Amino acid sequence: MKDPQRALGWLAAIGLAAGLVVAFGIAPREATQGNVQRIMYLHVPAILVAYLAFGVVLVASTTYLWRRAAGADRLAHASAEVGVIFTAINIATGSIWGKPTWGTWWTWDARLTSVSIMFVIYLAYLLLRAMLEDREQAARFAAVLGIVAALDIPLVHFSVYWWRTLHQPPTVLRPGSIPMDATFVAALTINLAAFALLYGYFVAKRVRLLKREQEVLA
Amino acid sequence: MRDNWSFVFAAYGLAALVLGGYWRRLNRRERELAALEHRRGAARAELRTRPSTPQR
Repeated sequence: MKDPQRALGWLAAIGLAAGLVVAFGIAPREATQGNVQRIMYLHVPAILVAYLAFGVVLVASTTYLWRRAAGADRLAHASAEVGVIFTAINIATGSIWGKPTWGTWWTWDARLTSVSIMFVIYLAYLLLRAMLEDREQAARFAAVLGIVAALDIPLVHFSVYWWRTLHQPPTVLRPGSIPMDATFVAALTINLAAFALLYGYFVAKRVRLLKREQEVLA
Repeated sequence: MRDNWSFVFAAYGLAALVLGGYWRRLNRRERELAALEHRRGAARAELRTRPSTPQR
């Protein structure tokens, strides 16, 4: 294929369509929560991909500070932006899921609070980049923030173990087997793969745009 | 428990809106940059073809 970014986009679109078919057509109705549990196929992949995005920000920021490679800076910028999008989806869908199951849209529970802090930190990261006019300075400051901000990722993930929370413990990233029927796991895996492909597509597109912006506006 | 389909559709609809909106924003930025590049290219070409002003 001539354009790998375009191919990735098509793969992501096919993956998302397959994810919808599996989530609504193949995965069974959950016995306790009913059909509202189908929000899980959106909510869980969104946060896992956000973890991936912010992990990439950490690696790219470290690389930038070490090698001063402009490409690493562009990757960190793009990945943070896409990570914020997926975190926003996770928070919004969690709130929508919380209302019928917990009886509230929002509660200051450790998981919800820590994920909101993570969202705000990465928003601040993007604001910092937008505010500083000197590109080199913006890249350097953002790289430091990108490394410090990653400390919040384990806090988000382990918050359900460290504090007593309304939110359930992790379903996927946990020691031992996943406590779900194979059909639910398959539906979740397909949606996770689709979201990961979409992440790859968005980041590739954004990195290319950032490079072009720097060339055109130089 | 009730099925609460409206919550399911709200969650999926919102996610589609956010992801679609971001995709459209990236595409719009791509078009803007292409137009800017085109304008700059045209301006450069015009400067090259314009006859130089005679020296006095």
